Amino acid sequence: MKVDIEKIAKLSKLSISDSEKEKFEKQIENMIDMIENLPDISGKPFVDENNRMELRKDEVIESMERQKLLSNAPEVLAGCVAVPKTMES
Amino acid sequence: MNLYEYTASELHEKLVNKEVSATEIAKDTMDRINATEEKVGSFVTITEELAMENAKLVDEKIANGEEISKLAGIPIAVKDNICTNGIKTTCSSKMLMNFVPQYSATVYERVLKSGMTVVGKVNMDEFAMGSSCENSAVKVTRNPRNIDYVPGGSSGGSASSVAAGQATLSLGSDTGGSIRQPAAFTGVIGLKPTYGSVSRYGLVAFASSLDQIGPMGRSVTDVANLYTAICGADKLDATTSKREYPDFATLLNSDVKGLRIGLPKEFFGEGVDAQIKESVMTAIKELEKKGAVLVNVSLPSTDYALSAYYILSSAEASSNLARFDGVKYGFRAENYDGLNDMYEKTRSEGFGDEVKRRIMLGSFVLSSGFYDAHYNKAKLLQQKISAEYAEAFKVCDVLATPTTPTTAFKIGDKVSDPMKMYAGDICTVTINIAGLPALSIPCGNVNGLPVGLQLIGAKFSEQTLLNTAFAYEKIMGTVSAVANL
Repeated sequence: MKVDIEKIAKLSKLSISDSEKEKFEKQIENMIDMIENLPDISGKPFVDENNRMELRKDEVIESMERQKLLSNAPEVLAGCVAVPKTMES
Repeated sequence: MNLYEYTASELHEKLVNKEVSATEIAKDTMDRINATEEKVGSFVTITEELAMENAKLVDEKIANGEEISKLAGIPIAVKDNICTNGIKTTCSSKMLMNFVPQYSATVYERVLKSGMTVVGKVNMDEFAMGSSCENSAVKVTRNPRNIDYVPGGSSGGSASSVAAGQATLSLGSDTGGSIRQPAAFTGVIGLKPTYGSVSRYGLVAFASSLDQIGPMGRSVTDVANLYTAICGADKLDATTSKREYPDFATLLNSDVKGLRIGLPKEFFGEGVDAQIKESVMTAIKELEKKGAVLVNVSLPSTDYALSAYYILSSAEASSNLARFDGVKYGFRAENYDGLNDMYEKTRSEGFGDEVKRRIMLGSFVLSSGFYDAHYNKAKLLQQKISAEYAEAFKVCDVLATPTTPTTAFKIGDKVSDPMKMYAGDICTVTINIAGLPALSIPCGNVNGLPVGLQLIGAKFSEQTLLNTAFAYEKIMGTVSAVANL
């Protein structure tokens, strides 16, 4: 199957260089050919309504120290994680 | 014999009888690591200081006449996708090369609570995607049984460290075979537990509905003890089962009279090397001699399992790895123009090729127009596969198959051909899809390279798997030995 590698890369938030485009395209096409080996089945997967995961109560508990979390951030300014502008002014 | 050559059970005896101290064990293991690491390359981070601290605490307990756990003072290596508070956890990826978690995975907390001696974090295929440990951004790990060959993956370092005597036990993770295949390739024992029996809290997620952390070691008793230490319900992982587990090692029983061993014909087909089939059948026949009954069974959907696996795991991976965006932690690209460009550059520079392929495949199968043809079908196939296993377990207690279709391959042989690499997963992926437990135990060699016998059980039947493996170990009269390096 022919794939639109640029579209898939964009969906994945990846940028593929021109030199890599052909290589990835071929590899992804081979992968898709492999995964298309599926039997003729249709329907909706069964979901066991009686076997639900138990979610925790929605209550506020102590989480983690802010300083510890900020220690992982690439750039910190005034106690916040610094990122590029997210909105057009 | 050197201390690093003993099993955990043997070391425990020596500790309790005061023949040896935990500090001596730690030192001996560190010496072994230093002597072999250049050749094998198991480690991303060696934690010598921590190991000596762990050992000292155990020695103090012994000196105070306190009781110690079965795993206290035993050297363990931890796969580098398991978060360890204050210790770099890289997933062998550029994306997390300098990431230091501020919390620990539940399994790691349990390892520390048992008093184990943590020797380091070990190498893996990046983000657990791979079957050779060649997709690591850190280094290529080598197979201690023959250093020109791969140790397997993605838990390559977990396997090689145990096979090389650099750790008595290790923790790996298995999504499509990543504990069992490297165990088979390096001649050690690896258990992928039932989905939901071991907490995934703190395990960097690859495919959340398939991932499981599991123990690797050189004796069944050791593996059973480490499994006991890490399994159990965890409030922090809603997918863990609430069931209670026994102390598996104390219940080990090597009597296989009447044990029904199913042989699924699809695992003994053309895709598996003749010599592997021979080794595996020889092992199975040994169990038959001791009273086990062989039953022919069929798992018809096995042929489609590879497709289902790559669809489901890639779809989940594309979602799970969306969090790596350079914002709050991990790698962030240096040069970018605006927010979207930051995302794209960070991810393109931070991820290796295999990770990119899987993310893209995942995005593709989940995208509009293709969801029904692939993802939905794969989910239906998953249920079909599970149902086929359930049918098989009506007439047998355990299934026996080869763990891998070939022995380890040479470094560099498959890394540039993804399809060739994926084909090696045919014997392992169905088990993850069905959420079942499976164990690989060494059962011989072909041209000097180990062969693994895979035992598959119904959900939560780990005792049966361990018992069968224990029976085989007794027949062989030996546990797996450390490699000569």
